[in-house]
Amino acid sequence: MNALRDLARQLLEAGEVKVVIGYEDSRRGVRPAFVSDPADVDRLIFDARCVHNLATYLNPRRGHVKRLGRAAVVVKGCDARAVAGLLREQQIAREDFVLIGVRCGGVFDTPDATGPLDAASIAPRCHGCTVREPSLPEHVVGDLPPEPPVGRDLDAEVARLMAMPAAERLAFWNRELAKCVRCYACRQVCPLCVCERCIVDKTQPRWIEPSAHTRGNLAWHLTRAQHLAGRCSGCSECERACPEGIPIHLLNHFLAGVVRDAFDHVVGDDPDAPAPVGAFRKDDAEEFIV
Amino acid sequence: MARIGVFVCHCGENIARTVDCAAVAGSVADHPSVVCSVDYKYMCSDPGQNLVKDAITEHGLDGVVVAACSPHMHLKTFRRAASNAGLNAYLVEMANIREQCAWIHPRTPETTVKATDLVRAMVEKVKQNVPLEPIRIPVTPTALVIGGGIAGIQAALDIAEAGRDVIIVEKEPSLGGHMSQLSETFPTLDCSQCILTPRMVDAYQHPRIKLYTYSEVEKLEGYIGNFEVTIRKKGRSVDIDTCTGCGACMEVCPSKKALDEFDMGLRTRTAVYTPFPQAVPNKPVIDREHCLHYKAEARAIARGKPVKAVCQKCAKACAADAISFDGGDELIKEKVGAVVVATGFQLYSVAKDQPEPYLEGYGEYGYGADPDIVDGLQFERLASASGPTGGKILCPSNGQAPKTIVFIQCTGSRDPAKGIEYCSGVCCMYTAKHAMLYQHSVHGGRAVVFYMDIRATGKGYDAFTRRAAEESGAEYVRGRVSAIYRADGKLVVKGVDTLGGEPMTVQADMVVLATAIRPQPGIKELAQKLSISYDQHGFLNEAHPKLRPVETNTAGIFLAGCSQAPRDIPDSVAMASATAAKVLALFSRSEMEREPQVAKVDQATCSGCFHCERACAYGAVEHLEVKDRRGNVLRVVAQINPGVCQGCGTCAANCPSKSIELDGFTDAQVFASIQALSL
Amino acid sequence: MFEPRIVAFVCNWCTYTGADLAGTSRLPMATNVRIVRLPCTGRIDPLFIVKAFERGADGVIVSGCHPGDCHYSEGNYHARRRFRLFKELMDFTGIDSDRVTFSWVSASQGQKWADVVNGTTERIRALGPFEGYPGSEEVA
Repeated sequence: MNALRDLARQLLEAGEVKVVIGYEDSRRGVRPAFVSDPADVDRLIFDARCVHNLATYLNPRRGHVKRLGRAAVVVKGCDARAVAGLLREQQIAREDFVLIGVRCGGVFDTPDATGPLDAASIAPRCHGCTVREPSLPEHVVGDLPPEPPVGRDLDAEVARLMAMPAAERLAFWNRELAKCVRCYACRQVCPLCVCERCIVDKTQPRWIEPSAHTRGNLAWHLTRAQHLAGRCSGCSECERACPEGIPIHLLNHFLAGVVRDAFDHVVGDDPDAPAPVGAFRKDDAEEFIV
Repeated sequence: MARIGVFVCHCGENIARTVDCAAVAGSVADHPSVVCSVDYKYMCSDPGQNLVKDAITEHGLDGVVVAACSPHMHLKTFRRAASNAGLNAYLVEMANIREQCAWIHPRTPETTVKATDLVRAMVEKVKQNVPLEPIRIPVTPTALVIGGGIAGIQAALDIAEAGRDVIIVEKEPSLGGHMSQLSETFPTLDCSQCILTPRMVDAYQHPRIKLYTYSEVEKLEGYIGNFEVTIRKKGRSVDIDTCTGCGACMEVCPSKKALDEFDMGLRTRTAVYTPFPQAVPNKPVIDREHCLHYKAEARAIARGKPVKAVCQKCAKACAADAISFDGGDELIKEKVGAVVVATGFQLYSVAKDQPEPYLEGYGEYGYGADPDIVDGLQFERLASASGPTGGKILCPSNGQAPKTIVFIQCTGSRDPAKGIEYCSGVCCMYTAKHAMLYQHSVHGGRAVVFYMDIRATGKGYDAFTRRAAEESGAEYVRGRVSAIYRADGKLVVKGVDTLGGEPMTVQADMVVLATAIRPQPGIKELAQKLSISYDQHGFLNEAHPKLRPVETNTAGIFLAGCSQAPRDIPDSVAMASATAAKVLALFSRSEMEREPQVAKVDQATCSGCFHCERACAYGAVEHLEVKDRRGNVLRVVAQINPGVCQGCGTCAANCPSKSIELDGFTDAQVFASIQALSL
Repeated sequence: MFEPRIVAFVCNWCTYTGADLAGTSRLPMATNVRIVRLPCTGRIDPLFIVKAFERGADGVIVSGCHPGDCHYSEGNYHARRRFRLFKELMDFTGIDSDRVTFSWVSASQGQKWADVVNGTTERIRALGPFEGYPGSEEVA
């Protein structure tokens, strides 16, 4: 933690950045911190409650954050994947921000968790993590904590759903999506939702009913999943942000599996690695085409 | 409020037999946006078209739907008719109720319901149509021809003769390409240089053709009609305008060890040289790799020492003072409207060291390392009167006339184990030619041809190959050769006669390998500079293998000759003329008109993610900087070049925010079509 | 008897022309399909399929040129990836992707188009009306 605070202080005092975006404690658990005064760096912490993906603040649609000036962002390895995605899609330039990577041993599913980090409390995004030591950031602080406990396995949940008969699966999703109130928190929190004008807000013509109506709920979530295919960094902040507790990240996780199995691609933290979006191979499988 | 006119065609009995046209017209008349809805026997006839025109005037129509045959048949007809009546052509749509309705269904109520449905869908679509104008792009009517071989020369002459300017860029010091190296050409056995050099001179002297020899394309920028090419004119060290072509420089040059490229390494040449006596332009060039002065200069520069003049005997011998050691490469920019890629071919080498990782040499033929194992072009030079042996066919090793020559077809070609699966097309013919030339030159000489098949498909070609066997007495053996090696002064060729069913060994004095045709070295780098695509061998890709063989998918870039695939001289010439026709069509107007079915980006909602750029097969997406009044760049958004966009709409479907519209098939139009269907 | 309502999104150069050929050849087909012509399968957005189902379609056909033959050289390659993802997504949410037929029909394959139309119609007839589609019963 001291290394993090020292680095933050250095960057601010040197004027290299105008704000350090990290994590701080509060009455209701950990929350994002925006530190602009070097004297305030002691607010910055990093522990297993730091679940938020702060890469979302680099998304250029967050105009209010841009106004704070050149930023240094504290990122875990998984968060760095989202930064790589933003770089890949030319939404940010590498020289316009600083990344402070933190070595991570897993995070809780909620920022106000107490008690031990175990199989029940660890966030599903930590399952099978390969980026505990982030490689994209130019600074990496902290000691490498021990291996995280193995918790909720999204692959197993996807498999469980696929094992159900289709009608049961449809009933599951109808029930879940009926809860959606179209708050669009999932869209707002997602670092990769970079559209200047989201498709659901397009009215001429209106492809997706934008209000909380069963018809549009399915169209919205199918579209969101389709648009994130091959781009989603797997942070599952969308699901954490959902006030209704709908397991929407399962849709993204499922499609990430299809992208991996069918197109041999996994979203990583190398911004120069080509994306499967807008790409194809001449020998892509087409057994589903008559 | 829309004012749509609907016209339902009977098409004689074609539609009316199964669709109740009057009922369709009647149903659609109730649609609130339809102000006129009629049916008629033959809409495409003159009176039919006049119905449309009169209705446009009488009812003030702002959209027309003709329910009839397929739009592929008559959409242009009705668009023209509407345009003549003052309604924008793109406010006309057709509902296909013939091929896709009347002709495939029986006369039942469902068929008429379907026809009505299709018409209503088109009414709703056309309400969303906007007037469009054909896109006009200015065209620079100058062509760039890359490659000065027979294909490039033919294309250039055809374009120049039609009154348009041409720039030829040829990387060798002379025009002519490989055809200039041939001794005689099949199937007529005329002297290659005799038919080629007049064309070379025509190209050189043509007032509309500008020739850059010893030059290469450095960069190509721009788009169809509006290219800017940067040409690297390599340093000749000889001013071709002051040089008189007297040849005195070559006589005094002490560097004589360079392998002569024109004679395929069969003899040496001086460092200052003219590639061949009939070169066009017939002016020498200094080969800086072998010139004593330039070699010394390179050494001095590498060691950081001052450069001193060495030798330079040629400059001293030059009466016209045309040689200068001071110059280097020059970069020249030219504006052109179209590019023809006629870069020709190189031969596959059987050597151990191969230029591409997927190619293999012929270890079984000793990697062709024996001086008496030659390839087709080397044989041409031996047979050629201006070649290293004065036209006598002699073994390179001992200068004796070979009593037996083995010709092996398909060396490299049709051999997936060596990396080349295709047929090179010309080898059966030139091997027959070689066998005949040999037997005319060495009377009583034995020619054995190992072949897999005989492919002689052109005019008079079959008779030609049979002449080699039947009249000249060449022995045609169907089988391949498994090994060639030297023993007791002979080349032992071990093959098989599959028709006779026995192995066959020939003691030969010379072996001629008909090696595969490959694209030129550096073709991939050139293709990338031009943004055109190529196959795994480097042959350039045509836009459509059957219907667009001389165009590429990059608008304004065309292909001629062996750069696209192996072919012989008649086909290369025919293709070059076809290419010229395409170029001339492009140049036929000062502005080119394109169907306005192109995509447009809404720059206010574009987030600059450039998924569209990745989706575009034509490179039509450009980056546009959106700036504030002080010139600060606020964001970078996508912009589509209407001259390059081909109108497929993949970008529009890939755009997550639907910030791209494809005119003619906009979101609004598709949405309206779906909504209108009674589902 | 239940008559399925089917929308077909087809590319102009291959499938639409193939459908015209089927017509010229007078191949009998079910009347249940309505064709929406588009320049290329690359233009087809999964939202078109969603919209068709929302409107009340029981089945959808998406058809274009065979890989390698696309008039615009690559549009169908992009479509192939896009629809692979969407079809799997439909299945994951429990929407029977059997209600969508994806096909490559070239301009010379009139009979194949007839088979796709007739085959799809029968298959959708057997699946029954698409009543499970969320919200489709509330279509205006």
